[in-house]
Amino acid sequence: MSLVADLISILLNGLQQGAIYILLAVGLSIILGTLEFVNFAHGALYIIGAYVGLYVAQGLVVSEGYLAEAGFSDLGLGMGFIVGMIVVALVVFVLGLLFERFIARAFYDRPDTDQILVTFGLAIIVQEILRVSLGSTSQPVNQPTWASGSVPIPGVAISEWRIYIILITALLVGIVYALVEYTDFGLVVRAGTMDDEMVRLLGIKLSRPYIIVFGIGAALAGVAGLVAGPLSPINPTAGTDILVPAFVTVVIGGVGSIRGAVAAGTILGITQAALIQTQIGTYNLAPWSQVGIYAIAAIILLVRPEGLLGEEVDTA
Amino acid sequence: MSLLETEGLVKRFGGVTATDHVDVSIEPDERVSLIGPNGAGKSTFINLVTRRLDPTEGDIRFKGESIVQKEPHEVVQAGVSKSFQQASIFPDLSVLDNARIAALGADHGAFGFNFLKRLDSYPEIDRIARTTLQDVGLWGQRDTTASDLPYGDKRRLEIGIALAAEPDLLLMDEPTAGMSPEETKATVDLIEEVKQERSLTYLLVEHDMEIVFDISDRIIVLNRGSVIAEGTPEEIREDEDVQDAYLGGVEA
Amino acid sequence: MSEDHQLRSDGGTAPATGEDATSANGTEKATSRVPGLGGDEGRIIGLTALAVLLFPFLFAEAPVISDIIQGYAGLTTLILIWGIFAMGYDLLHGFTGLLSFGHAAFWGAGGIAAGLLVEYAGMNLPLVLVVVGTVVGVLLAWLIGFLSLRRGGIYFAILTLAFGQMIYFTIFGPLGPITGGEDGLLLTIGDLFGVIPLNAGVPVLTPLGFIPSWLYLIVGIFVVISVAVAYRVLNSPYGLIFKAIRENEQRAEFVGLNVWRYKLMAFILSGAFAGFAGALHTIYNGAASASAFYWIVSGDVVIMSILGGVGTLFGAFLGAGVYLYMSNILETFVGTLWHVMLGLLFVIVVWLFPGGIWGGIRALRDLLTDLIGGGGSEPEAATDGGEPGARAPADAGSDGGENR
Repeated sequence: MSLVADLISILLNGLQQGAIYILLAVGLSIILGTLEFVNFAHGALYIIGAYVGLYVAQGLVVSEGYLAEAGFSDLGLGMGFIVGMIVVALVVFVLGLLFERFIARAFYDRPDTDQILVTFGLAIIVQEILRVSLGSTSQPVNQPTWASGSVPIPGVAISEWRIYIILITALLVGIVYALVEYTDFGLVVRAGTMDDEMVRLLGIKLSRPYIIVFGIGAALAGVAGLVAGPLSPINPTAGTDILVPAFVTVVIGGVGSIRGAVAAGTILGITQAALIQTQIGTYNLAPWSQVGIYAIAAIILLVRPEGLLGEEVDTA
Repeated sequence: MSLLETEGLVKRFGGVTATDHVDVSIEPDERVSLIGPNGAGKSTFINLVTRRLDPTEGDIRFKGESIVQKEPHEVVQAGVSKSFQQASIFPDLSVLDNARIAALGADHGAFGFNFLKRLDSYPEIDRIARTTLQDVGLWGQRDTTASDLPYGDKRRLEIGIALAAEPDLLLMDEPTAGMSPEETKATVDLIEEVKQERSLTYLLVEHDMEIVFDISDRIIVLNRGSVIAEGTPEEIREDEDVQDAYLGGVEA
Repeated sequence: MSEDHQLRSDGGTAPATGEDATSANGTEKATSRVPGLGGDEGRIIGLTALAVLLFPFLFAEAPVISDIIQGYAGLTTLILIWGIFAMGYDLLHGFTGLLSFGHAAFWGAGGIAAGLLVEYAGMNLPLVLVVVGTVVGVLLAWLIGFLSLRRGGIYFAILTLAFGQMIYFTIFGPLGPITGGEDGLLLTIGDLFGVIPLNAGVPVLTPLGFIPSWLYLIVGIFVVISVAVAYRVLNSPYGLIFKAIRENEQRAEFVGLNVWRYKLMAFILSGAFAGFAGALHTIYNGAASASAFYWIVSGDVVIMSILGGVGTLFGAFLGAGVYLYMSNILETFVGTLWHVMLGLLFVIVVWLFPGGIWGGIRALRDLLTDLIGGGGSEPEAATDGGEPGARAPADAGSDGGENR
């Protein structure tokens, strides 16, 4: 394969993988930046999105777990990915609203570490409920028929779906960014991030924008779960697998910065793709692909502890 | 040699100059007060001296040695101690433990490897803790959980913690803020008493003018980050610049 | 000593002001002793030894009790091993106030170091493995602590999480060929001192139902030693400084303490316990693998520590016991549902019962003491509830004093 084809491969794969990280990180980052809430259950939102989306878009194979024992066989609506994504976005958005209202809100005044603990506990509960209901085996997922071809670049063997993931991510993140930067809602959210007491004194009730921020963050995670489905395994532990890279992306991008999350996700995704495809002599670098992400993250943080586009912090 | 000296001290936060070329020197045994309208930069100055903040420009010297490269705990070890504006104590620990921690910081040096040695075998720690608590009148309450103390006692504990380090220079950031007149008087008496017993130098940041004029040998006045006047209480009382600065400002 | 003051070292059964109220994170108050038991080191060691002796009996053999519990002897060893891990973790989290989500790295490192020694160096003497595991735990904790402690609060948690995963993937991926990858290494652990098989019964004690095997005996002894060490650390200057850091880190710095170094020491100490326990785990399992490094394992020790009771030392063993009971014994009754139940229990404890099980036991004991007529309460200093305000910020300890 030619060098150019290789580079294009790495670029596209990297952007696609990065896109997933970005979808998760943008949500996490605005929740952390605006609500100052650390959500270790973000991966749970991702995996719920995956299962719900798969149910709507194609179908779930019911062969293990309680549902199987209860006599259910394969369930699904088979309505395709587009409907699936819309439904997931709505469903997980609502879940996010409920989560903020009934869980996050109870923990705003508690130490951050309590937030980590309770959301971690909830993530375990979600994961295990999925496992008990549907078993541990990964769900088979087919790429949408309208995107299952290969990218029309000679020498590059990449599924079209990856490109769609990149486009969908760009669209969604673009919408969220526009929302935050250019609307009144976004203005209140940004002001609230800087000085929530002042905003309240001005008579603006922050609970409504806050709950919506949570909903948006959750929806992004849910959609990520579905769109990643054809490429990454959908099983109960996929949520916990993805959580750490998501947080790493947030931190190296700079908490609260959407652009930072995009930059960070891109860097990490491309690093991962590059390592997967590269060989030094006969030594395959693929096993280092995950390690590489953390190594890059560590370097960035050592040089710039506040992240690429974050605000300066006092490290004393 | 001055005990504390600042030279051309500047601190900028983004567009705001909180400390503007401040030159101050404090001699041993002096009782100095730092006053100024709200926002004058008094707390910033204190935070620069304790190394909680890094200066943008300028030097700070304690006993002749520059301290701008030191960590906060090193400055304490050198002999500068601060009592915080809010009573910054260890809430869930007993009053005695609060004092012992302060004593550990002072007597123990900043770090040791003694994690297998019993605390009981450090009589110095208990002696310092006891002396400190007695000096601030809290020995009788040594087993009380610190967070259960009434506010005035918390402030005394706060001062006690700052004193345990046996500092040469004690910085006090509004020690009587929020106190009743009786408590204020008791605190002021305490400060004076402690000063006598320990031959301490202090730098007091205060809003209460009565106290300031009462217990200061010298007063430094800040406004908008720079020193606008310096002198004895009488001189300051008559100073026009000081009067201008306070007119329209919020005066305690 | 002033005479109107009753010393606490009378066994400490009488509650003093605020001693038993649990604060928002369930930390013990007003004393440098471990709550709930007297301040006497000898007593603590004695009680621990007794508990270790009786545990397998009650769990697996005793008539009635063990029938209800349905326990088996082998599980008791595993509970003690995780208990050591969790207790070391409590030193860091419960007493110093630092939430690490990456401690599986040290547990795993201790385990894999032991595994590699057996597999490649032919060294399979249990005591040697344990020493090596501890040393590896210390060194790795030093490195990771150095890098992670630059920031506090949630950033610290996330950094430890990230480093932990980095190490997991390194062990699993590039080092897979040496570490056995997904399956791990299957090992034959040597005999104790080269002569006593670990699975053999102990003369006199085993037939009586007290100590199921030499392995349990060794682990039991290690538990007593670990408890003694942890207890001693807490009663040393370090213990007080750790608590000061938890309570008000900024103030601790400003009384002259090099807070960063002490945090690092807390991290290293907890890493030592983790590596130690990790090696024991490899010995117990006769196997070592990369799975011990996965971040959920870090989460497991956090769960055990919190279930048992944060900042209580002994809670660690209770937490380990509950967790492993659910995953091994309850599991046979309810299948994978056990894990959902564990998650629920954990969330409930975090949300509503920060004192954990140990805290619950103490509350119960206090209730009983009050009902029976309140034993010699200490005269309390007059606190007529002045202003509750001006309390040092509750999370100044875990935040590293930074602004977000």
